[in-house]
Amino acid sequence: MSLQMIVNALVNAALIAPPAMAFSLLFGILRFPNFAIGGYITVGAFAAFTLNVPLGLPLPLAAAGAMAVTALVVWGAHVLVFRPMEGQSAITLLVVSIAVTLILENVIRLFYSADVRGFDIPLQRPWKVFGAHITPEQVEIIGWSLAIGVMLHLLLAHTRIGRAMRAVADNPMLAAIRGVNAGRVTAFTTAICGALFGLTGVFAGLDLVIEPLVGWNLTIPIFAAAILGGIGSPYGAILGALLVGLAEEATILVLPSTYKIAVGFVIIAVLLLVRPQGLFGTAEIKK
Amino acid sequence: MSAYLVSMGTFVGFFMILALALNLQWGITGMVNFGIAGFYALGAYTSGLLSAKLGVPVGLAIPAACLAGLVMGAAVALLSVRLREDFLAIVTLGVGEVIRLIVLNEDQITEGPRGLRIEARPFGEMIGPDLYPLFYLGLVAACVLLTYAVCEAIRRAPMGRTLRAIREDDVVAEVLGKNVLLHRVQIFAVGGFFMGLAGALYAHYVQNISPEVFMPVVAMFIWMSVIVGGAGNNRGILLGAGAVMVFLEGTRFVGDFTDALDAEKMSALRIIAIGLLLIVTLRLRPRGLLPERKFKAPSD
Repeated sequence: MSLQMIVNALVNAALIAPPAMAFSLLFGILRFPNFAIGGYITVGAFAAFTLNVPLGLPLPLAAAGAMAVTALVVWGAHVLVFRPMEGQSAITLLVVSIAVTLILENVIRLFYSADVRGFDIPLQRPWKVFGAHITPEQVEIIGWSLAIGVMLHLLLAHTRIGRAMRAVADNPMLAAIRGVNAGRVTAFTTAICGALFGLTGVFAGLDLVIEPLVGWNLTIPIFAAAILGGIGSPYGAILGALLVGLAEEATILVLPSTYKIAVGFVIIAVLLLVRPQGLFGTAEIKK
Repeated sequence: MSAYLVSMGTFVGFFMILALALNLQWGITGMVNFGIAGFYALGAYTSGLLSAKLGVPVGLAIPAACLAGLVMGAAVALLSVRLREDFLAIVTLGVGEVIRLIVLNEDQITEGPRGLRIEARPFGEMIGPDLYPLFYLGLVAACVLLTYAVCEAIRRAPMGRTLRAIREDDVVAEVLGKNVLLHRVQIFAVGGFFMGLAGALYAHYVQNISPEVFMPVVAMFIWMSVIVGGAGNNRGILLGAGAVMVFLEGTRFVGDFTDALDAEKMSALRIIAIGLLLIVTLRLRPRGLLPERKFKAPSD
């Protein structure tokens, strides 16, 4: 495996680690695999594009705006769609979440058509480090991804609302009895996760392209990372993201690159069969 | 116009078979299958390749496609033994995608994105080209009835009660001495059989199949049919598949009346409409249009 492949794997991991952590947090509270994340990421990418290109804002401002818009969309979807369906089975909610992704994607197609776009940023020469190419944007993505990991850790471990988030994820009824306002915690979690999905949309726009399917194409690697790390364990998600990134690059050595999308699925299938709770999750006792 | 209705009816038939099969697996037995597009592709390509490349007569190629779906269903069901249902959803989605990727990439055999041309049609040489679409609609309708009859028979039989018990709580079913694993494998295999049948019927109808038809979104439409119609109720499933297909295809007519929207925008609007149909139905009728009737006496 060459240094270039390790660099590529690192960039991939940096791209999927924040949404994998967000997915893990959302799963802890809502308890179903939320396929709507694909639509949310696409919304983030297009919101940033709209602020950056037609409106001419600098990219950092556009990114902040995209995070706010996506947080609003995720919260809106929660209030309008998922909260009223609380009694439905996890699988019904899963199908509904795919429908949400389809709706968001196609609303965007309606207004932007399916063309491939990019941000308005100067094209920069990639840097060469020991023979491996890496673009300045990719370095930024890795830096931000690390910073987000640290910030989420501080939030979850050392703040009141972070403790409340973990309490609700662990045992909603006990949390409610102890006076945790579950509604407020859920709103806060959806907003934080929305901001992370929005930022992922921006990163995806920087590193890949901006098109309606950009979020859907990232969904399975994100699931793979979150499941690999153990669902509900945000730190595991970071390591899961690294392993998924490496596995995707390693596949190219043995299979045509067109099979790359299958890697995420195969990782999920093998892992779930061998260790259903993920690498770092704790086994759930079925009552 | 009437040719269009016949063709739409035929497609509704494919959807109904797929939706009935999914209802058997999930609505009645509680086993998740998001790989429907994969089973559909498996049936289409098994029958298509056998008849186009090896010259196997259609009368043998279609049953072979059903058999391929059956074997595949049994294999996927064995995977489910250790999996939680939400994870099984992702794994089965993966199975479907892997099948599509194989079809797409192994183009020496499958013709990949160029599309596989299939000349052979059931009774193709006996029926004139004018009447053939109508005949095929009848053939598909007969297959829908057959699938419905089998699914309904399973649902009403004592076995149906066992399957519902497995759906509600597999541990209780196991404690009562039911062989949960055997039932699950059987039902998933039967579902796979019918999905293979739908795929084969599709292949010989359009006579040109390519991998982009078998995207995971097909599985989504079938799931929506089952949820909108009412999981567990076979009659509801027929209604749900019809409703989703009318939304999907019928909205094409809207395009004829207005020039404001191009084809790309129309297709986006169609999918938005389907998504809203699912959400609105679930908000107004949480158990679907025709919910499963519970606690009915066995004399039903």
